[in-house]
Order: sequence, then structure tokens, then C-alpha cells
Amino acid sequence: MRLRLSYDDRSAAILVLPVLAVLLVVAAYPILYSFWVSLHDIVLTRPLRRPFVWFENYERMLGDARFHTAVLRTTVYTVVTVTVTTALAVGVALFLNESFRGNKLLNALLLLPWATPSIVNGLMWKWIYDPTYGLMNALLVKLGLLDSYRAWLGDPDLTLFLISNAAIWKQMPLAALLLLVTMKAIPDDLYRAAKVDGATVFQRFVHVTLPALRPGLMLVLVYETMISIRHFDLFLIMTQGGPGDASYTLSWLIYVETFRSLRFGTGAALSYLLAMLTFLLSWLFIRFLGERNP
Amino acid sequence: MQEASRRGVLQGLVAAAMGVPGMAAAQAAGKVNFIGWSAAVDQIKAHIAAFERDTGVPVNYENFPFAQFRTALVTRLVGNAPIDVAWISDAWLPEFVEAGWLADIEDMPNLKRYGSETAAYCNQSMTYKGKQYGLSYYGDHMSFMYNTEVLQKAGIAAPPTTWDEVVEQCLKIKAAGIMEYPLLLSLGADTWLIEFVSALTFSFGGSFVDDKGDSVMGAPGGGAVAAAKWLHEAIHKHKILAPGAVETVELNGLRAFGSGAHAFTIEPTYRIRSLNDPAQATAHGKIRLALMPKGGPRGTHDTCGWIRFYGLTPAAKADRARRERAVKFIEYFGGRDTKGNYSLQEMLLLDVGLPSCALPLAEDAEVKTFWTRWAGGGAIVAEQAMKARKKDVISPWFGEWVESSNQAWQSVCLGRATPEAALAGLGTKWNELKRAFR
Repeated sequence: MRLRLSYDDRSAAILVLPVLAVLLVVAAYPILYSFWVSLHDIVLTRPLRRPFVWFENYERMLGDARFHTAVLRTTVYTVVTVTVTTALAVGVALFLNESFRGNKLLNALLLLPWATPSIVNGLMWKWIYDPTYGLMNALLVKLGLLDSYRAWLGDPDLTLFLISNAAIWKQMPLAALLLLVTMKAIPDDLYRAAKVDGATVFQRFVHVTLPALRPGLMLVLVYETMISIRHFDLFLIMTQGGPGDASYTLSWLIYVETFRSLRFGTGAALSYLLAMLTFLLSWLFIRFLGERNP
Repeated sequence: MQEASRRGVLQGLVAAAMGVPGMAAAQAAGKVNFIGWSAAVDQIKAHIAAFERDTGVPVNYENFPFAQFRTALVTRLVGNAPIDVAWISDAWLPEFVEAGWLADIEDMPNLKRYGSETAAYCNQSMTYKGKQYGLSYYGDHMSFMYNTEVLQKAGIAAPPTTWDEVVEQCLKIKAAGIMEYPLLLSLGADTWLIEFVSALTFSFGGSFVDDKGDSVMGAPGGGAVAAAKWLHEAIHKHKILAPGAVETVELNGLRAFGSGAHAFTIEPTYRIRSLNDPAQATAHGKIRLALMPKGGPRGTHDTCGWIRFYGLTPAAKADRARRERAVKFIEYFGGRDTKGNYSLQEMLLLDVGLPSCALPLAEDAEVKTFWTRWAGGGAIVAEQAMKARKKDVISPWFGEWVESSNQAWQSVCLGRATPEAALAGLGTKWNELKRAFR
């Protein structure tokens, strides 16, 4: 059967072609080439050898204790960051959905943390946590909650949560706005009908707001998970994976393998593993939240 | 063929991204392409101006922060950037030689003749498999430093000579209520950590590897394990060293010690100048040097020494014109200038505090005055320099191994691993990398 294209189809194809060509060069080729790299044992400091090793890099990384640690740390970090960000965002969106004086100003102010560059955010929180002149120590000591200054980021039990806190501070505003937009689209009739039926505030939230929020929640969960699972800048600025291996996440491991050990083969393999994990989680969110979308 | 062309494309992209066109143009214009890290930039620029004036050879100078320098240099070398001379750390020497990125100077008598005027450990640190690969930029070692005012307040007459005495004196200072953590060690996972722990290990009479290069770092009762145990006890048992030390990188440690908040520390010797400089430190004039304390029954006053040097690339060596220019440059910067003086080495010491590998400078009047002014005399510096040992873990796989080393030592400090287990694991990693290199 011959494919017959209309004039419009042909015109559209011709107009799309330049963009497609650019995408092939800047996106498709690097993605495919990095997969090819992941099948080689490439160490930049040994430029005279680059054997093809099939999936050995993947095998080696999957059996590496550092990888297991990194997966655990990434999971904890992602679960904490996404859960708290989403919960706070729902609360903030509910609050901003109400009509009150100064609502618009608050909406604008809410965007400030989100608009702060990641590097600035990382440095700001690093200073806040600083063991000698940090605001957090000063505040807690003044309030009598702490006897003396502590090295917060030097405590391996707290590090991950403190970094997560910095991430939540930056990411929550966008999540709140996304949910607010969804909330604004909920027809008032639903709330009025629920009130007539005698539903309490909590019942209206559970039976009206939450189901209607599902598309927004799915978007927030997918977006925040993808951001958190690949988070790197805060780890670079605040702890460099430490202390010890306390903040050794997958992104950090990829950085170490690729740019410190200069092992491009295993670095690329790890990147693919991370990408697969991200796709899998996104797919799960879409499948379980998306299909039941009313 | 396909492989070669693909690599060519990549090399081209890397080179283009790294600013190679500028270097290529500089090379075509008969310039020496020199890359260093962002240290002593004013002094280097001044010396480049002097070099250009004295020899008529122009120089194209670029610098990057030290933290990114190795990666930046490697990507440029992989991209065949036309570099002639680069600052090299002794830690990278085997790795770079094996990669074919450094050329030896064995057949260059103009440069080789400086061997007799260079401190032995500096010569050793520039030598790999019997061949020398450059002339020194500077050579230094880790020094034990103390704050005289704190010791005086605590009624301590002399600085400690053993690590046990360090504990005793720290406890005395704590008991007097002078400070909570008298000892400051920068155990943050930056590039200095291996030098700190090497100094500590050597002072406990230990080493990381044996003469054959096999790991002995995890040997029970060995110096490395003893040093790690001491560190762990200093933090968790004696509480003389803050647990937050694992968060302190060298530069922050320097500032904290300069503020007068601690009694003892280990720092690179060249930091003594800034620590005693009124413009840079509150505790100025009170910081003095002592020999590295001995640790345990087999302890020594040994410390970890290192050098940075001017390395020549094989491409520069292979081209006669480039080679002539580069050799002139290396001699002028790493050896004597056209007037026969170690002018750059002297300037680096007097301005920045960087000690030199050049032995004749030790007798220079200005150098003696410098040590008297900033360190209360040069005797300890000279004696400690004689006891400096290069890092025994320098190997072609050092860059890969050191990341694990930093983690292992931090885990010990945090109490997350026993010294024996952490260092045994580190030894296993060493042996794996060594095997994989063959």
C-alpha cells in the first residue's frame, strides 16, 4: 500500500525536518554514543586501550558495594524529598486557594526560592548549617535548644535530610503552584453540593479536592521524582558525597566515576542505570495515578 | 578506521570546547603554551614577562582552579591540545607517563644538571621508572604547628614530641577551659586528605604499601591502622578533635587555626606565612612549628612531602622548535634564570611562602630572614624537610584509589567502620586496581 501524503503533511514534514536534524545531532547521537561508550572499558588516563566489554561495566557496577550504597541513599533522599515537598505543596496550595488580603503578593513571594539558582541555594544552606558561624547553630543556641555549635553536615545520620531540606525549600514553591492551578480548575459546584450534603472540611478535601487534584499530583510526583533522583548540585556544593559515604547518591557516584576516576565506560553505564530507574518510576506513577484519572 | 574517525571527531569536539584553537594559534606564533592552576598567578605573570624580555620567547599562559585542574588537563591532553609545558603534581606522574602525556628530560643536559642542586625527595618525586620528567615548581611537606599563646595559657612549656603527648596537652588545655577542641585536623574529603593521613601514618612508622607496591595498609598493628585508631580515639574517646573535622577542608582549617581557636594542627609548611601574617590571621605571630610527633613504639618524626613540577609534553619534545622554547621556559622557571639566579623560587617563597626544592636557596640571606620572620627560624623546617617522604601510594591508579581512601578514613573518623576493617577494605581496593592495571 502506498503512503499518500497530503500537501499539508508534506509541508509539515519539511518544516519539522531542520529541528529533527538538530535533535538527531544534539540529542539522539549523544544518547546512542554514550550507550556505545558504556559497552567499552574507557579510562581517560589510559588512552591507548578501550576494549569492547559488552555489558561488563553494568555487571561490575551492579555488584559494586558503592552502587548499593548509592541506590539506598538515593532512595531515602528521593522518598523524603518528594513526600515532604508534595505534602507541603498541597498545604500551601490549599492555603493560597483561599481568598484573603495579600494573596497575590504571597503568590509572588512564594516563587522566590524556586527562582533562586541551585548553586546559590546550596551555598546559602551550607552557610546556614556552618559549624562555626551558621545561622542554624546561632538560632538553636539562642533559643536554648542546643548547648554548643554542631557540625550539622558532618553528622552522617543527618546529612541526607539536611540536603533534602535545602532541596524542598527550593522545589516546593513550583509544586505548590502546579497544584494551585489544578485546584483553581475544580468547579465550585462540587464544594457547594458537598456542603449541602453535610460534608465537613476534611471530608470535602478527601472526597472532592484530592480526586480532582490527581492530574496535578501525578505531574508533581513525576517531576519531583525525576528531579530528586538525579539531584547533583546540592551534593557537590554541600557535602561532596560525604562525610564518609553518608550522601553518596547515584548522581554523585556517576560524577566520581566519570570526572574524578575518569572512567567513562562505567560512568556511562551508571548513567543508563539511573535513566532506566527514572523511566521506571515515572511509568509507575503514570500507570497507577494516571489511568484512574476521573 | 571507523573507530579512529569517531575518536577524531570526539577529540576535535573536546579540543574545540577546551579552547584549543587559541593554543594552536599561540603555538603557530612561536609561543610556549603553558598551563598551570590558579596559584601565585601574579608572580607567574611577572616571571613570564621577565622571561619574554630576557629570551624573546612569548608565552601563552592559562590557569584553572586546582580542584578541576587534573580533569581539565586530562581532557585537553586527550583532545591533543598543543600544550608544551604544564604544572604536574607528583601524584599524577605515573598515570600521565603511562598515558604517554609526559616526556622525560634524560637527554636534556640543560635541565638534568639541576639534579645536583635539588633536594633528594624532590628528584625522587619527579622520577618514574628511572627517568626524570621535569624541574620542580615547589616542594613542601606537612608540618605540625602549635599556638604558643594557648600553650602558655595552659602552662605547657614545650610542644609535644609524640602523639600521646598531643593527647595529654590537649586534655590539659580542655581541663583549663581554654577551648573545647584543641586539635584541628582538616579531614574533609578534598585533595589534601591523602597528604594529612600519609603524614600521620608515616609518623606512626607505617606505610600504605611495601617495597613491591603491594598493600600493607590494612595490616593489623601496622602504622596506618595505628594512625587511624589514634584519629578515632582523638574524636570519640578523648574528644580533643571535633567530629565535624570530616567537614573541614584544608582552607577552612587554615582559617580556623588562624583565628586562634585551636592549639595544634597539621598544615602544609607554606601556610606558616599566612598564619603569622597580621593581615590574614588573628593568631599571627603566635604560630610556630615543631617536628611531626612520633606515634606508638615504632614512631618517627617522618612526614609526607610532595612536589609540583614543570612537565614537558611528548608533542613539544618531538618538535625541535617547540622543544627549544619549552626547555628554555622550564629552565627559567624550574631552574636558574638567564642571570643564574633562582629568582622565581625565591619570589614564590618570599611572596607566597612556597618552599623551594633548590638547595642553594637555603643559604640565601633573604630566605633565612624569611624563615626567621614568619616561622621563628628555619631549623625545624630544614630538619622536617629531611624527614619528608613522598606518598608511597603514588601509582598509575592513584587517581581512582584516592577517592576510596578519603571515604575509608572518613568512615573511621565517623565511627562507622573500625580502623582495621576500613583499611583492609582499602587495601583490597588497592590490590584490585593494581591487578586491573596489568
